[in-house]
Amino acid sequence: MEVTTRLTWNEEKSLQKLLGSVSLSLLYKSSVHGCSLSKMFARCNHQGSTITVIYLPKEIVGVFIRGHYPTMDVNFGKPNSSFYFSLKNDETEIKTAFLNTTLQMDNEMLRAYHPNFKDIFSLIPNDSLVRLHSLLVNELRVNFKVSKYLECEVFRVEGIEDGNSYISRITGAAQHRHKLLANLRAYKPSEDLVSEIRILLLGPVGSGKSSFFNSVKSVFQGYVTHQAAVGSDSTSITELYRIYSIKDGKDGESLPFKLCDSMGLDEKEGAGLCMDDIRHILKGCMPDRYHFNPQQPITSRHPSFITSPSWKDRIHCVAYVLDSRSINILSSKMVEKLKRVQKEVLNCGIQQVVLLTNVTNYQEVLQDDFLNMKKCVTSGYKITEVQEMLHIPTSNILMVENYASELELNPLKDILILSALRQMLRAADDYLDDLPFEETDEVVGMSQLHTCD
Amino acid sequence: MAVTTHLTWMQEKKLQNCLGGKRFSLLFKASVHEFSTKDLLLRCYNQGPTMTVIYSDDCVIVAYMSQGYDEQNNFTILFNLEGTKILKCKIQPVSPLKVLNLFKQYKCKNLDFQIDLKEREVTMSLNTIEKLTLPQCEIVSFQECEVFRCEDLLDTRKMKGLSELRESLLSAIRTYKPYRDLVRQIRILLLGPVGAGKSSFFNSIKSVFRGHVTHQASVDSDRTGKSEQYRTYSIKDGKDGNVLPFVLCDSMGLSEKKGLCVDDIFYILKGHIPDRYQFNFMKPITPGCGNYIDSPMLKDRIHCAAFVFDANSIEHLSDEMVAKIKRARREMIKCGVVYLVLLTCVDSMDLIVRGDLIDIYRCMPVKLKIEKVHKKLGFAISDILVVSNYTSEWDLDPIKDVLNLSALRQMLLAADDFLEDLPLGETAIEERQLTSVQKKN
Repeated sequence: MEVTTRLTWNEEKSLQKLLGSVSLSLLYKSSVHGCSLSKMFARCNHQGSTITVIYLPKEIVGVFIRGHYPTMDVNFGKPNSSFYFSLKNDETEIKTAFLNTTLQMDNEMLRAYHPNFKDIFSLIPNDSLVRLHSLLVNELRVNFKVSKYLECEVFRVEGIEDGNSYISRITGAAQHRHKLLANLRAYKPSEDLVSEIRILLLGPVGSGKSSFFNSVKSVFQGYVTHQAAVGSDSTSITELYRIYSIKDGKDGESLPFKLCDSMGLDEKEGAGLCMDDIRHILKGCMPDRYHFNPQQPITSRHPSFITSPSWKDRIHCVAYVLDSRSINILSSKMVEKLKRVQKEVLNCGIQQVVLLTNVTNYQEVLQDDFLNMKKCVTSGYKITEVQEMLHIPTSNILMVENYASELELNPLKDILILSALRQMLRAADDYLDDLPFEETDEVVGMSQLHTCD
Repeated sequence: MAVTTHLTWMQEKKLQNCLGGKRFSLLFKASVHEFSTKDLLLRCYNQGPTMTVIYSDDCVIVAYMSQGYDEQNNFTILFNLEGTKILKCKIQPVSPLKVLNLFKQYKCKNLDFQIDLKEREVTMSLNTIEKLTLPQCEIVSFQECEVFRCEDLLDTRKMKGLSELRESLLSAIRTYKPYRDLVRQIRILLLGPVGAGKSSFFNSIKSVFRGHVTHQASVDSDRTGKSEQYRTYSIKDGKDGNVLPFVLCDSMGLSEKKGLCVDDIFYILKGHIPDRYQFNFMKPITPGCGNYIDSPMLKDRIHCAAFVFDANSIEHLSDEMVAKIKRARREMIKCGVVYLVLLTCVDSMDLIVRGDLIDIYRCMPVKLKIEKVHKKLGFAISDILVVSNYTSEWDLDPIKDVLNLSALRQMLLAADDFLEDLPLGETAIEERQLTSVQKKN
């Protein structure tokens, strides 16, 4: 008989995706290799992390075991991190339950023991029987406690991340992503001055400003977008000033923030975005789709120049976008330019954050609970360097891996992108909170100044 | 120690191809498990076709057994992996138990190939050594031994999954509606060097919906750019079915000398150029000439563009061509048209077999190729899609269809992004025109 899995191709792909683009190697298949614990054990011990998949008439249940299969030993070993999952036939959503249990193999069964709930899960190959604790029955939404199964297969899982936190991360990622999304959807700017926040993306040519917009849009839309042209060329791909609004889903409401994408900064004078334009952008005088001219900044005579910008037209938060791979090779001219830009931003009292892109080891940035960046990351040389260069607090130096290098969404990337966005909105709130009221007069004053021009 | 293979991706790929499109599952690794015949058999017995890989200091020897570790005599092929070369030799059918010398009684001599795991030695007959051009030494000691199960890359399970995926893509495209119904059909421009496979891509898409391979658009196989006409192709769903919600626009190929005028691209994007317009490589279209469309509506414009490249000629694109492509891209950015890249002829790339097409983006040679396009032309990696056109086939291949339909689906989604991003003024005018047309009707 042929040794091929009973999983459909779709099911296999969903499992691989859940585990973080791993590959699966089938080691044991009960109908071919025999329904006995010893036969199963002989093939599955010492194979590294595995998943055991149990096929029932209407669903699949399974357990992921990190590290080698438990040994044939009547004594309990150390608690092992493992998680349980279920997948109903013809469905794509996998239910998971994470429990710290002790796995044990005795003469007839593979069982998982929990100090509070006793036997959580047991598998009796000789009788083709699987037994679940009511806790698991609820979590996995299955409707049996004990059942005979049709088949049992064990796969080795290759390509998983190191570290004990791996399981809690993959099971927690989807939840945390969901929470962040809900959080951002419900966001309202503090004070009632504006209904939406404007975030300006500034940075050297090719640092990933437009890609960040694409990434944010992709997360809310559910698939990778190609809307903003991205790529690399000798000069900035982005030539227009764009104020992008993002919808929640394809036909959803507009979200309460706008991302303002500008032309890249160039170290040469007379190339890239010019300083005077930045000033106008910050004040909110720059219209959407304005075609930048590196040699000639916008003037109030431009037909679509916004002469009396209101609070909502202004920039509330600036994100300096830098490619994390080239921080240490930024030319002194570029650094100097960035500092000049920063002076302008500070003059307007606008809050600022740094967004580091192309963080290829994005899985390792956040703590296991996704709430903060890891200490080893924040003390890493790149962050320290950026901090020294721009004097921006570490908590406002954010890291992402944009969706410019991949066509498929990934919950861990999503979490970083959404967290970065949330920090930007929080910074914008600080700006609004901090506003002296007289400022409003200044806006009026400035518009009068422009009409005088 | 981790149970992962010692084979490089290149060695693994070459072996996969040598065995006719197989994938490997590692079952046994001596250095992790045990240098013991018993342990090997416990893990590898009754696993179907298997491949045993022996790593010695100066060679890698592979034994493929069509029945795997089983009692019966078994058809066995030996390979010697030498750098990037593979030497092959068939040996007499033999029982795997004899190969492993399980009962310690058939002490070699009359066997072509025998592994002694405990002693970490392989014994080969002179005949075998000669055929595999190995050093003249009957006994070779080795450091590592791995056993893999071999499965077909394209088994019935995957083919079933593929045809389901194909159906769901087809229905998604059939029922697709452009954003806010701003237009009835999405116009997709195919642009690229002469002979890159633009017309072939149209033919391939048409073939899927027609149900058999068609060759409506003449394919410029002689690379002189026979398609000098601008053609806009609408496709029907089946022979007499409804018109599908997209139009593929096939332009003249770009070339160093006589290709499409880059200045024409602006007029194409804006919808000024009519179907069957005869391109002139010397000069671009001018307003007022012939059937120039004076005030094109949103429906006449290009909503998404695809740069089409032959995966095999990326390395040979001249600087002139690269400059032309970058200029064309600037035009698109200027007009706000969303663009993607299609890489054609991936199936004729070195090392790539049909089975690879089901998971093409994970395939190492293709990954490297995409990286190359990214570096050479500056396109973002997420903008590069792989397709596989029909060239010599008579019959439809669901694997190719899935690739091509996925690309088409991406283009339609990209077109939605374009429509969504139109300046408010422009869509308002269009909507007014639409409603007035509807009122008239």
